[in-house]
Amino acid sequence: MPVSWPARVTAASSGSREGAVLGELPPGSEASTVPPAASGDSDPCPTLKPGAKSNCIIVSARQRGNPILKFVRNIPWEFGEIVPDYVLGQSTCALFLSLRYHNLNPNYIHERLQLLGKTYAVQVLLVQVDVKDPHQALKELAKMCILADCTLILAWSPEEAGRYLETYKAYEQKPADLLKEKVDQDFLSIVTDCLTSVKSVNKTDALSLLSTFGVSHLLPIRVQTGPCHC
Amino acid sequence: PGSATAAGLSAPPVMAAPLEHENQVFLDLFHQDGLVICARGLGIDRILLRFLRLYCEPASLVLVLNTSPAEEEYFIDQLRSDGVVHLPRRVTNEITSNCRYEVYTQGGVLFATSRILVVDFLTDRIPSNLITGILVYKAHRIIESCQEAFILRLFRQKNKNGFIKAFTDNAIAFHTGFCHVERVMRNLFVRKLYLWPRFHIAVNSFLEKHKPEVVEIHVSMTPAMLTIQTSILDILNVCLRELKRYNPALEVEDLSLENAIGKPFDKTIRHYLDPLWHQLGAKTKSLVQDLKILRTLLQYLTQYDCVTFLNLVESLKATEKAFGQNSGWLFLDSSTSMFVNARARVYRISDDKISKKSKVSEKMDIKERKELKRELVLESNPKWEALREVLKEIESENKNSEDLGGPGQVLICASDDRTCAQLREYIIAGAEALLMRLYNKTFGKDERAGEEWIKDRKAVKSKGNARSDKGPQAKKAKVEASSKQNKIMKKQDLTLTQMMGKTEEENIEEEMEGYKELSSSEEISIEETKPEDFHLNLASDAYYGIFKTPLTIIHPLQGCSDPYALTRVLHEVEPRYVVLYDAELTFVRQLEIYKASKPGKPLRVYFLIYGGSTEEQRYLTVLRKEKEAFEKLIREKASMVIPEEREGRDETNLDLVRDSTSATVSTDTRKAGGQEQKSVQQTIIVDMREFRSELPSLIHRRGIDIEPVTLEVGDYILTPDICIERKSISDLIGSLNNGRLYSQCISMSRYYKRPILLIEFDPSKSFSLTSRGSLHQEISSNDITSKLTLLTLHFPRLRILWCPSPHATAELFEELKQNRSQPDAAIAMAITADSEIVPESDKYNPGSKDFLLKIPGVNAKNCHVLMNHVKSISELVTLSQDKLSEILGNAVNAKQLYDFIHKSYAEAISQGKTKR
Repeated sequence: MPVSWPARVTAASSGSREGAVLGELPPGSEASTVPPAASGDSDPCPTLKPGAKSNCIIVSARQRGNPILKFVRNIPWEFGEIVPDYVLGQSTCALFLSLRYHNLNPNYIHERLQLLGKTYAVQVLLVQVDVKDPHQALKELAKMCILADCTLILAWSPEEAGRYLETYKAYEQKPADLLKEKVDQDFLSIVTDCLTSVKSVNKTDALSLLSTFGVSHLLPIRVQTGPCHC
Repeated sequence: PGSATAAGLSAPPVMAAPLEHENQVFLDLFHQDGLVICARGLGIDRILLRFLRLYCEPASLVLVLNTSPAEEEYFIDQLRSDGVVHLPRRVTNEITSNCRYEVYTQGGVLFATSRILVVDFLTDRIPSNLITGILVYKAHRIIESCQEAFILRLFRQKNKNGFIKAFTDNAIAFHTGFCHVERVMRNLFVRKLYLWPRFHIAVNSFLEKHKPEVVEIHVSMTPAMLTIQTSILDILNVCLRELKRYNPALEVEDLSLENAIGKPFDKTIRHYLDPLWHQLGAKTKSLVQDLKILRTLLQYLTQYDCVTFLNLVESLKATEKAFGQNSGWLFLDSSTSMFVNARARVYRISDDKISKKSKVSEKMDIKERKELKRELVLESNPKWEALREVLKEIESENKNSEDLGGPGQVLICASDDRTCAQLREYIIAGAEALLMRLYNKTFGKDERAGEEWIKDRKAVKSKGNARSDKGPQAKKAKVEASSKQNKIMKKQDLTLTQMMGKTEEENIEEEMEGYKELSSSEEISIEETKPEDFHLNLASDAYYGIFKTPLTIIHPLQGCSDPYALTRVLHEVEPRYVVLYDAELTFVRQLEIYKASKPGKPLRVYFLIYGGSTEEQRYLTVLRKEKEAFEKLIREKASMVIPEEREGRDETNLDLVRDSTSATVSTDTRKAGGQEQKSVQQTIIVDMREFRSELPSLIHRRGIDIEPVTLEVGDYILTPDICIERKSISDLIGSLNNGRLYSQCISMSRYYKRPILLIEFDPSKSFSLTSRGSLHQEISSNDITSKLTLLTLHFPRLRILWCPSPHATAELFEELKQNRSQPDAAIAMAITADSEIVPESDKYNPGSKDFLLKIPGVNAKNCHVLMNHVKSISELVTLSQDKLSEILGNAVNAKQLYDFIHKSYAEAISQGKTKR
C-alpha cells in the first residue's frame, strides 16, 4: 500500500525559527532565542504592505543619494516607506552597507538588522568593499549574517552592487533551471535521469528496467517495492 | 675518482662511480639533516638515488615526498638495474586503507601520495614512531604545496628522532620573496643549508678535470632575420614603456628588455599584476597579452623556418583584423618592417613576370603555377647549414676512427618535438623539399582539408604497416637502406601532417600532445623487443633515429612525457658527438656530469647558437640568474639566524605547538568569576577529497582536531548544524554552470539546519568576483553574479561566506565553532539521500519531489499542486489526460506528462532510432 507523499505533514511552517541576537555577538549558544524583534510573524513568505507587489525596486528614503542607484538602470525603482533599504520582491529585501561607513559606525548595521528582524525569506546584506583591508570587518559581518539569517553578498564597485539589486528583482520569479544540470531532451535521457534520481538505481539499471517495463508499469512497481517509500 | 667506500657504504659495482663532489654532498647530508640546493643539472637526482639505495631495506621505513610518477619509475628502474632487492614501493589510492598499515610496517622506501599520507598521519594509520625519516624532493615547492609541510609537521609532532632531508635544484625559486629560503627551512624543520652551485670550488675543479671537448659555433643570422629581430625588440621596448607608463607601481628592474625575452617573464609579470588584476584597465591587459605574443615571435624566429614564422605573423594580422582588438603596435614602423622582411624570406613579388615564368613553373607544381605573382625565395635556416657541416665533419672523422673503436654515435638535441621533426626532415630530404612542403601546406589554397584528410588516412595506414614490419626487420640484422629510408619518410609523414594539420599555434600544441600520447603506446610495445635490437627501438616517439651507422638520433630537450627520457637516451646511446641545436642549461650540465662519470671516453659537444641573437641572450640570462640566486643564497646563509629548536626534536619548537589554548578552553571572561567549564577538544569533520587544499592543515594548526572521512554531503562539518561546501573561484564558476552546486545545495539544505557556501579566494589573486569593466550593460544570465543571485533566491537558508584566503577561513571556522557542540563523524558520514531531513527544508518527501521534477511537464510551480492532489505515483499513472490538465491547470504540461508516462519502451527506442 503506497504511502501518501506529504510524508511529513509538518509543523515546519509554524516552527519557531531562531531569533536574531545581534546586540551581543559571540556569546549565546545556539539555543538562546529571542523572539524576532518587530513583526513576531515568522512565516517565511510574508504578505507585505501594499506597494510591495510592484514591478519596481522599492528604495527607502534613507538611500537617497546612494551612488549605486545610478547603476540600477535595467529595472525601474521608486522611493517608498519601508524598513529595509531595498525591497526586491515579495519576499526579498536588502540592506546596503559600505565598508567605509561600517568602519566609522560599527553599530549602525546591528541596529538596522535588529529593526528588520525576520520579515523576509531572503534578506540580503549587500556590502560594498571599498576599503583597503576589509578582512577583519568582513569576518565579523559573516558571523553576524549567520546569526541574523542574512545572505551576505559582496560587491566591489557601485556598478556591481547596483547590478545585484537589479538581478534580485529581475530573477524574483525565475525558476532554477539555469542552475540545474542540463539533460538531453530526448525520451531516453529524461527517463534515465528520472529513474536515477532514486538512490539505488544507476544508469544501467534504469535502462534494463525500462526495457523490461514501460514507464507506466515501471512507476507503480517502483513505488510498491520502492526504496524511498513514496 | 672519489672514495666510494666512505662511511662504510660501498657502491655497487654496476653503478657509475660516484663523483667527488657528490660524495661530499652525500656525506654532509647523511651526517646532519638539511636542505641541499644544487645547481640545475648537477645531478640532484643522483644524490637522492644514493639515499634511496641506502634505505632500501626492510629495517628502515623512509617516505619520499614530492616525486612524480615518472620520476618514481625512473628511480625504481635505476635501483633495479643496480641489483637492489627490496625495491621502493608506491602508496597510492590503489592500495586500500586497510592494507596500508601492512605496507608501512614492511619497511623500505615508500613513494607516497601526499593526500594519503596526511590522512594516515591524522588517523594514526601510519606507525609514526617507526618511521626512519622523510626525504623531500623538489623542496622549493614546500611553501606553495601545503600538504607536504603538513605531513612534516604531523611527523615531527609524533616522531622526534626521524630524519628530514630535503633536495632541490631550483635555486632561482629562492630568489623571489622575502627570506624565502628561511621560510622553506622552517617548513622543513631543518637547520642546515647546503649550497652546491656550479661555481663551488669542489664542483668546478672536479669538472674542470673532465672537461668535454666543446666546439662553439656562432652562426650568424641572415640580414632579414636580423632586421626582424631588431623590429621585434623595438616593439617590445615600446610595449614595456607603455606598460610602465600605465602602471607606475611596477618594479622597474624586473621589466627590463633582457628579462622580457626570457621565458619566466610571463610568470613575473602575472605575479605583480594578479593581485590587482581586477583594477587594471583593458590597455594594460592587452599589453601583457602583446608581450607574450612578441616573445613567441622572437622564439619562432630562431627556432623554426621562414614559412612557419610567416604563417604566425600573418595569422596574427588576420586575428587582429577579425576581432578588431589592437593595442597599437601593429601600426608601428617596426612592425611594418617585420612584415616586409618576414615575407621577403619566403617570397618576393616578381617584377618581370614573363622572364621568370618558365623558371617558376619548373620549380613549382601545378597549383602554384596559377599564382604567378609570387616568386619563392624560401630562405633556409643558417643553423641548418651549420648542422649539415657539423654532421659532415663528424662523418669524415668517423671514417678514420679505428683507433677509437669504430665510428662514434651522434646525438642531436633540439628544444622541442617540432624542431626535431623539422631537423629530421631537413637531414633526410634537404632544406628545399622541407620548405616547399611547408609552403604548400600552409599557403596552398585549394581543398586543403580534403587533401589533408587523405594524407592522414595514408599516414595512419602506413603507420600500421611500419609497425607490423618491425618484427621481421628487427630479426634481420641487415636492413636495406632504401626501405629504411622509406619507413622514415612514412613515419615522418605522419608526424608532420599531424603537426601542420592546423595552422594556429595553440592547435598545433594540442596536436603535439595528442601525437605524443598516440605514439607512447608504440614506445611501450617497442620497449619489449629491446634486447634483440636496440637500434630500432630508438626510432620511437621522442627520439628520431636517422642513420643507423653511425647511429644518429635527434631528441627534444623539453616536452617529453618522461622527464628522464633524454637521460636514458644519453646513457643508452653513449654518444661520442653531441650537437646542441638549442642550448639548455640543465642538459649542458648533465653532459658535464656524464663526461665526468665516464672518464676516458671521448665526448665532443657542438654548440650551435646564433651570435648576437635573443636566443644567446636568453641562455646567458638563465646562467646569470642562477648565479645571482646562489650568490644571494650564500649571503642569506651567512646572516641566517637559526634557532636551536628548529628541528623540533624537543618540545620547544613553537611551530609544532598547536594553538590549543584558545580552542579547547573556553576562556569566557563574561562568565562571572571564570566559572569552571568543561573543556572539550574541538573537532571538525573534513571530507577526504578536501585534503588537496591547504585549509585542513591550517585548521589543525589552530588546535582543532580533524576527522578525515568520506562525506556525501558537504566538505566541512563544523557543528551538528553547520555544513560547509567550500568552493574556490574556478570551482564556483564550474559548479554553478554544470549544476553540481545546485544539487549540493539541495542536499545540504535538506540535512543541515545551516547550510553554508564558502567562497574562497586565492590570496595571490585579486579579492574580487568580477573584474572592472567586465560588467555588461544588461543583466546576463551567464554572469557568475547572476547565477549566485539565483542560487540565493532559491535557497533562502543558504549562507554565504567570502574568504580572502585559507588562513582567514580557518580563523572564521574557529570562531563559528565557539560555544557550539561538536559534530559527530558517524552521523555526518551516514548522511545520504535516505536520511531524515531537516524539518525546515521541505514538507514533501524529497525523493518523490526530485523524481517528479525530472518528468517532462512538471516544473517547480505545478509540482506542489500535483503533490497535493495526487497521493502517489501509482495514482498518477492511472489518471487520464483530462484529469491531469485539470490538476495542472495547463493542457500542454498535462499532455507532456501523460505522453511520457504512457510511452512504451519499444516506441521510445524506435523514436530514438529515427532521430539518429
